[in-house]
Amino acid sequence: MKLKEIQFNDQSAERIYKDYLYRIRKEVKGLNQQNQDEILMELNSHIYENLQEHPTGNEVEKLLDILEKLGRPEEILKPLVADKKLAEATKTFNPIHVFKALLLNLTNGISYIIFFILYLFLFGFLFLIGAKIWDPAQVGFFYKPSEVFILGHSKGFVDPADERLGNWFIPAMVISAVALYLIITLLLKLKRTINK
Amino acid sequence: MNEDFINKWISQVKKGTLSFIVLNVLKSGKAYYGYDLINEIKKITEIEIAEGTLYPLMNRLKDEKLIISEWVEQESGIPRKYYSITSEGKNTVTKMEEYWHNLNNSVLKITK
Repeated sequence: MKLKEIQFNDQSAERIYKDYLYRIRKEVKGLNQQNQDEILMELNSHIYENLQEHPTGNEVEKLLDILEKLGRPEEILKPLVADKKLAEATKTFNPIHVFKALLLNLTNGISYIIFFILYLFLFGFLFLIGAKIWDPAQVGFFYKPSEVFILGHSKGFVDPADERLGNWFIPAMVISAVALYLIITLLLKLKRTINK
Repeated sequence: MNEDFINKWISQVKKGTLSFIVLNVLKSGKAYYGYDLINEIKKITEIEIAEGTLYPLMNRLKDEKLIISEWVEQESGIPRKYYSITSEGKNTVTKMEEYWHNLNNSVLKITK
C-alpha cells in the first residue's frame, strides 16, 4: 500500500500539510520501506479522519489545530522509530541496522551504553585487521609476562619478536569480531525478551 | 499549591495509565482505528490525551502481542489501520484491573 495524499483547496493548507509529511519522512528515513510507509500512512489517516469530522471552516486553521494536537514529528516519532529500528536490527543481523538502532536507543539507559561500547570493541577488531596489513611489524598481539601486553599498535616501543600471533593475527581478529558480533546480537535479543 | 508539580504529576499519571485505558476500550472486542480510539477515550473518560503519544504506544502493545492491527481500504483511498485486542491482551487487562482495584483501595485508605 502506498500513501495517498490528502487534497486541500487552500494552498497554504497544502503547504503546511506537505511540510508536515516531509518532517515525518525525515524522521523515519532510517527504517525499512515498509515501516516508513506504515508510520506515514497511519499519521496521514489520522489527519484525514480528523478533517472529515469537521468538514466546514477554514482549512488552514483546522489543519494547524490537528497538527498541534498530534505533536511535532521530531518528538512523537522518536520512541516509535527507536523501537522499530531495534526490531528490524535483531531480525536481520545486519551490522549497520544494529549500529543505527543502538545510536537511536542510546538515550534508553545504561544497558545500551554497554552494548554501544561492546560494539566499539567490535569495530576495534575490524580496524586492527586493516592496521595489520598496513603496518605488519608494529601491529599485533605483543605479550611478554609482566612487561608487555598490547593488542594493537606497539608504537615502536616493543620488540617485534614479542608478537605472539604472527600470521594468525588476522584470522584471530576475524574470529573475535564475528564471535563478539553474535554475542552482542544475542544479548540484544535476550534483553528484548527480558523486557517483554 | 505548586501548580507546576501537579501538572507534571498529572502528565506522568496519564502516561502511565494510557495503556490500561486503551486496552480497556479495546477489550469489548470492537476494532478501532487510531483517531476513532482517541475520540472514544475522550468520550468515555474526558481525559485529553496527547494524540501523538498514542501511536508509539499502539506499536508497543502490538510488539507485546496484546493487540493486532489490520489495514482496511476505504473509499476515500486513504486506508485505516484498525486495532483489536488479542486473547493475551484480554487476560492481561483483567490482571491489570485487579491491580488497579487494589491500588485504588489502598489510595482511598491513605487519603482518608
